[in-house]
Amino acid sequence: MEPLSWPMIFAKMVVQFWPVWAALIVTVALSLHFRRRLGLYGKLFDSTVGLLGFVIVMFWVFTALFADLIITFDPIAQISQMKNVSPGTPVPGSDQWYLLGGDHLARDVFSRVVMGARRVLTIAPAATVIAFMVGITLGLPAGYFGGKLDTGLSFIANLVLAFPVILLFYLLVTPEIRQTGVPVVLAAVLFLFPVIFVSVLLNSRYFTNPARRNLYVGAALAVGLWAYSGLAFNADPTGIWSMDPNLLNVFVSVVFVNAPTVFRIVRGIVMDLKSRDYVAAGQTRGEGPWYIMLWEILPNARGPLIVDFCLRIGYTTILLGTLGFFGLGVSPESPDWGSTIDDGRKLLSIYPHPAVVPALALMSLVLGLNLLADGLREESMRD
Amino acid sequence: MTDWDPSKPILEIENLSISFFTRLREIPAVMDFSCTVMPGEAMGLVGESGCGKSTVALAVMRDLGKTGRITGGAIKFKGRDLTTMTEEELRHIRGSEIAMIYQEPMASLNPAMRIGEQLAEVPIIHQNMPRAEALALARQIIADVRLPDPDRILRAYPHQLSGGQQQRIVIAMALMAKPALLILDEPTTALDVTVEAGIVDLVKELGAKYGTSMLFISHNLGLILDVCDRLCVMYSGEAVETGNVREVFDKMRHPYTQALFRSIPLPGADKNSSPLIAIPGNFPLPHERPKGCNFGPRCDYFRDGLCNARDIPMDAVTDHDRHATRCLRWTEIDWNAPAKVGKITEKLPPGRLVLKMEDLKKYYAVSSGAFGGGAAKVVKANESLTFEAHENETLAIVGESGCGKSTFAKVLMGLETATSGSIMLFDENVQDTPIQARNTDTVSKLQMVFQNPFDTLNPSMTVGRQIIRALEIFQKGNSDAEREAMMLNLLDMVKLPRAFAERMPRQLSGGQKQRVGIARAFAGGAKVVVADEPVSALDVSVQAAVTDLLMDIQRENHTTLLFISHDLSIVRYLSDRVMVMYLGHVVELGSTDQVFAPPYHPYTEALLSAVPIADTRVQKRRIVLEGDIPSAMNPPPGCPFQTRCRWKSQVPGQLCETVLPPVQVLAGGHQIKCHLSAEQLARMEPVITIAAE
Repeated sequence: MEPLSWPMIFAKMVVQFWPVWAALIVTVALSLHFRRRLGLYGKLFDSTVGLLGFVIVMFWVFTALFADLIITFDPIAQISQMKNVSPGTPVPGSDQWYLLGGDHLARDVFSRVVMGARRVLTIAPAATVIAFMVGITLGLPAGYFGGKLDTGLSFIANLVLAFPVILLFYLLVTPEIRQTGVPVVLAAVLFLFPVIFVSVLLNSRYFTNPARRNLYVGAALAVGLWAYSGLAFNADPTGIWSMDPNLLNVFVSVVFVNAPTVFRIVRGIVMDLKSRDYVAAGQTRGEGPWYIMLWEILPNARGPLIVDFCLRIGYTTILLGTLGFFGLGVSPESPDWGSTIDDGRKLLSIYPHPAVVPALALMSLVLGLNLLADGLREESMRD
Repeated sequence: MTDWDPSKPILEIENLSISFFTRLREIPAVMDFSCTVMPGEAMGLVGESGCGKSTVALAVMRDLGKTGRITGGAIKFKGRDLTTMTEEELRHIRGSEIAMIYQEPMASLNPAMRIGEQLAEVPIIHQNMPRAEALALARQIIADVRLPDPDRILRAYPHQLSGGQQQRIVIAMALMAKPALLILDEPTTALDVTVEAGIVDLVKELGAKYGTSMLFISHNLGLILDVCDRLCVMYSGEAVETGNVREVFDKMRHPYTQALFRSIPLPGADKNSSPLIAIPGNFPLPHERPKGCNFGPRCDYFRDGLCNARDIPMDAVTDHDRHATRCLRWTEIDWNAPAKVGKITEKLPPGRLVLKMEDLKKYYAVSSGAFGGGAAKVVKANESLTFEAHENETLAIVGESGCGKSTFAKVLMGLETATSGSIMLFDENVQDTPIQARNTDTVSKLQMVFQNPFDTLNPSMTVGRQIIRALEIFQKGNSDAEREAMMLNLLDMVKLPRAFAERMPRQLSGGQKQRVGIARAFAGGAKVVVADEPVSALDVSVQAAVTDLLMDIQRENHTTLLFISHDLSIVRYLSDRVMVMYLGHVVELGSTDQVFAPPYHPYTEALLSAVPIADTRVQKRRIVLEGDIPSAMNPPPGCPFQTRCRWKSQVPGQLCETVLPPVQVLAGGHQIKCHLSAEQLARMEPVITIAAE
């Protein structure tokens, strides 16, 4: 078989991504049709920037979802003749090509980037969600009560923010530090927050009806603590919740550096919102502070938080890329974009494609998230 | 500009139409608006929020923003059409020939520039005046707007001045270029009444001195009567009636103007014998205006087939001075017919003692240093409050901002604990019990209605859910279904459709939100309700309806209402007893009749004189207070009011400056905290007299 020309490579890739296109068309068509009933999400489609960002982000989300259908080869399989081959080289003994060439271990770059999307889009949003829960759970009382609690928590947040991030990462993943158990302790502390968050959320709402409260909070605690034991201590007897120790380190470090910024945003919004009359109305009918924080204040802080959430996923994605680039945390086989770029770096001047392709993927995802955040911010400000 | 003849109108607006263009549709904000302002004349624009009065003002400045556009008509200023001018020409006119004064003074001043620099900028830019000369002019104008110590003010930054002083500076800035036309957009809405009275006097005086024409925008009919020669009443984007102020007030020829006057509490209105008549229905949304007369659906004189058939033009009222109305039936309506009297109710006798405060004090400690160090200062927010409130009774608490009325509400509600004194609520002492420690029963009996309708409901929760939450917290109802039914009953009680339960607060109008707030407060069968300015942020036509609703519910539930307000007109209308507060002190306490008639406390006297009343029969003695309310952080020694009191000279010695006056109890339990002797008090003359017809 002949090597493919660039137009042919693109044509083949477009065809290969068919599930993504189909899903995108369905999503956008449905959203456009119902956009007047969809609140902020619907308004997003009025902004060109927001729509562009949304489409780019959804492209990668669907890529991650349908990765199994898109890939042409196993992302970790090595085919000996294909080491560092240029894009469009046919694979001997099959009717397929290495669409974007092969890397230094003769693996298919195209399939690795597609599979990498799955890795990146699981870790980054999950880490951001945990960081938000930590930031919100601490930021709400700091802003609401103020005083010494606020001073103390803000000081700690500033301390974490003032520490050089990369150095912090290196420390957290060095074997000596790991042996002291610091990452596990950190994980134990940080992963506790989502459990606390959900339990307090449900308790404050349903405490007037003890039977229902016990059911909801009980269920939340059961699931939460089960996942907690598995994720933080790898002690889940069923083995459903578990995390690779390397991944846990990366995850915990990312949450650890992101939470203080979320904390400060939440604290600022709460200080503004707590002087509203509906908060006073809650106080005068005897609501507890946590109900007011979680049900009266937090929902009204959602605008800026959603925008920051999008930006922060982008930031976390880059951070994970950086970590991967430094060879920190993830297993060498992993197709995630950061480590792939690092692998390709060594032969960059001779064979640029193994590094350039994941770099472009990373760039476009972060760009999409930023555009999406811009669009959301712009639309949430309007009427 | 030289060919302009001073006998011609300075501003002539002809058939002006303005629309705002949103993503969804074109929203017409102003339709077919015409008005004429002659030199030296003050024209009032009056109407409810959303009627387009500010849009007209912005159109004159050609400052409608990105989405607004003039879709028809002309605005002629000194004979030149502003709608066709280029940006360059407009820049010459704005600020030098036409100046505008906005509602919020702090937002109109640059916080990073000294007052002198900001004022001098105007002639430097428009007339190329040398800086020294411009500063000298600024100093002179500051003296003109009667600010003390002009040299200090010139060097001050805006935040170092009080709200009233800032607004005077904004007026000074507008006058720097000696404009031919001054547009004032609600210039005193953000200020206290006694400060407002000073500003209004100043505006009138300066208008006469400089011969400036004015376009005065306000929702307050009383202010318009005080300031303007002519007025234009707007409703839903249209001018409905225009003419000479006295003619429109006394011989109105449009049903909306009539309805408006009947819905505001004028002296003589009484909640029991002559209740206010609210305008039925709601203000139409700009894209849902009816065909024909916009006021038609709410009008008593509406006739099908005539009023809703076609667009209605302005029609000149014969025998009147440039008086015109947008009504087809004005010749047929009997304008002298008395209003249909609403339901007359019996005054309920005050019942048992519900609330008793004795010698309540609330001090806040504030530290002045940046790091918590420095000398600790004490703000005395409430000083020795003593009063009682009975069942069925409405006790009004009156005072300007900073008088401690909100702090009092917070202490009573348990959001703050009192420094000393006692609060007895149904034989239970609650002064040291914060709200978390009070039992559900106490909490649900004592509830609050808040001031700002846009803030009182949680924007992300449905109306029904918010009421149900209150029921849950007050432990009302045994099941979800039962609470749901109770919630719907509460909506019925505040006269809202049941379908509103599913709505989000942003889909409701201000008055409707306030009704939900009332429903929520009464969810636990409240016995004492603190209403913190519940209607002051609402439009006048809605105020009447919400006030009446509160009265009805009070009558049914035998509630004690503590009505906090700065609006003396509404206080006179609905309260049984009045408590006047100044700088944390109760200066006067008595029944409504006692407080509104002499003898007065000197502060009450000034307050009564400052309130604008929209009735041409009323004659007022003008008492304008000098200066501003002193800071509660640094109150004057002796009597709190001594710095602004006009009676001080009649008290012998340094008594006012040194000794806090004792409470004098006059006939009928009327309490006044003043050094004036009983004879001097008895010699006081009434502030307001109503001329006989």
